[in-house]
Amino acid sequence: MGWEREIEELRTRERLAREMGGKEKIERQRSGGKLTVRERIEQLLDPGSFHEIGAIAGKARYGEDGRLLEFAPANFVMGRGRIDGRTVVVGGDDFTVRGGAMDAAIGSKQVYAEQMAHELRLPIVRLVDGTGGGGSVRTLESDGRTYVPYNQGWDWVIANLATVPVVGLALGSVAGLGASRLVTSHYSVMVRGISQVFIAGPPLVAHTGETVSKEELGGSEICSRSGTVDVVVESEAEAFDCARRFLSYLPQSVYELPPRGPVTDDAARRDEWLIEAIPSDRRKVYDMRRILKSVLDRDSFFEIARQYGRSVITALARLDGWPVAVMGSDPHFHGGGWTADSSIKLTRFIDFATTFHLPVVNLVDVPGFLIGTAAEAQGTMRHGARALAALYQADVPWCSVLVRRAFGVAGAAHANHTRLAYRYAWPSGDWGSLPVEGGIEAAYRAELAAVADPAKRRDELERHLNQFRSPFRTAEAFLVEEIIDPRDTRPLLCEFANLAAPLRRAGTVSPQYRP
Amino acid sequence: MASRKVRSPTAGIVSTVHRNVGDAVGEGEEIMFVECMKMEIPVAAESAGRLVALHVKPGDSVSEDQILAVIEG
Repeated sequence: MGWEREIEELRTRERLAREMGGKEKIERQRSGGKLTVRERIEQLLDPGSFHEIGAIAGKARYGEDGRLLEFAPANFVMGRGRIDGRTVVVGGDDFTVRGGAMDAAIGSKQVYAEQMAHELRLPIVRLVDGTGGGGSVRTLESDGRTYVPYNQGWDWVIANLATVPVVGLALGSVAGLGASRLVTSHYSVMVRGISQVFIAGPPLVAHTGETVSKEELGGSEICSRSGTVDVVVESEAEAFDCARRFLSYLPQSVYELPPRGPVTDDAARRDEWLIEAIPSDRRKVYDMRRILKSVLDRDSFFEIARQYGRSVITALARLDGWPVAVMGSDPHFHGGGWTADSSIKLTRFIDFATTFHLPVVNLVDVPGFLIGTAAEAQGTMRHGARALAALYQADVPWCSVLVRRAFGVAGAAHANHTRLAYRYAWPSGDWGSLPVEGGIEAAYRAELAAVADPAKRRDELERHLNQFRSPFRTAEAFLVEEIIDPRDTRPLLCEFANLAAPLRRAGTVSPQYRP
Repeated sequence: MASRKVRSPTAGIVSTVHRNVGDAVGEGEEIMFVECMKMEIPVAAESAGRLVALHVKPGDSVSEDQILAVIEG
């Protein structure tokens, strides 16, 4: 006789754990349109790859004879599993057990998941539902005391940002510590209608005199525009797809390099329409995403934070199979001008690219910082200055393509000018400290004030100055290195990605990533 | 019938309004331009319908997300 009886008890306890918060609570979870934490883990990971850790941790009740009468599992399920064959750590809140709150938690499970990701150098995916192990006044009664709050495991949570890819998925109403765990990541996703993210929910907010629904307070509209959450999707399945896809561009940790994906597109492909992508009328906008999709590997464009800081596009993509970080301007918003929000978005994105050794490709059409009282009130220059600092601290390979404008301080920030100017310009290039329109009034104020017909003189000056605006005159002086046929952009960017690949250096970077 | 607010994508000055109240508009159709950073930023209908309100006229200053028009349909 060996240990069969004990193994039988182990299996019984594991079976009880799989029952989660019981039939009724699971039914409630489903009727809310939500999957259970175990279904989520199963759908996220490669089939059958989940190796659970701490499954039988929970709260048990025993009879007089020491027999197990009842078992409530801890409301955090975690372990290791694989995504596209690569091992990750996954940890999810079980909302069916006390709404995921701390009073039914074994806090050290969350800490263990974070520490495991850190020490084994594995990406971590957090499936957040509820308060994510946050406090509840119920503990006052059960403990007979209160406590000075601290954020358990936060040392690992922060250390992980500088070490491994961290993904947060909001899969329900997420508040307090849960919201904080979600956002302390490199990439966060919420599901429209199912997920809301806030510091505190409507009942607490009601005490401030504000009566709002969960959706009005922290729905996907609010969170995607505020930049609290990066991406909004329509279903949990789509959220898992996003997590898998995001990780596919990244190394397992900063100690490795981003892996080359399959080469699925012709590096020499030249799309004819690019010759007319930029309208000759400088006042007309165009579709930068279409340009990006055309020059990057087909179907590799993966945008992050589309609804936030909308004058700037940030995305992951591939060039000849190599993962790259992509920045681009979107003239449909503020003419592509940098706002406070787009500066914050860029700072975070450049730091992210640096952390995971992703070469940067930047398609530039920047008229400068947005100007005016609204821009000043938002502290645009403060946030812009931080974006510039991130840019000058970044040491990943960097290639800029000036597709149209580069004006002022923000336009200058298309690259760190002290590094080799790995840079191309399209013939639609238009640059300077200030554009001629508008700049004339500032530079020729005295002259315009002195003439009888200032409008006529202004037009004359504009015509006169415009003749110097040709990008060929800049190239004559080698102040821009190369003007290219827009159709050659993809082959040249693929060459860049191949030249950049051996230059990437694994390891930790300084300064460390902040969410 | 659902009504949809058309919001300004940008801060700027309304330069041209292409449509009048009562006009039918198609999805993605440009309703007006808001000028910002010397560019004409198109404001397009997110869905097809009828323009039931127009809150701005050329020359008006607008802020980001300001409601410019309402479409019903």
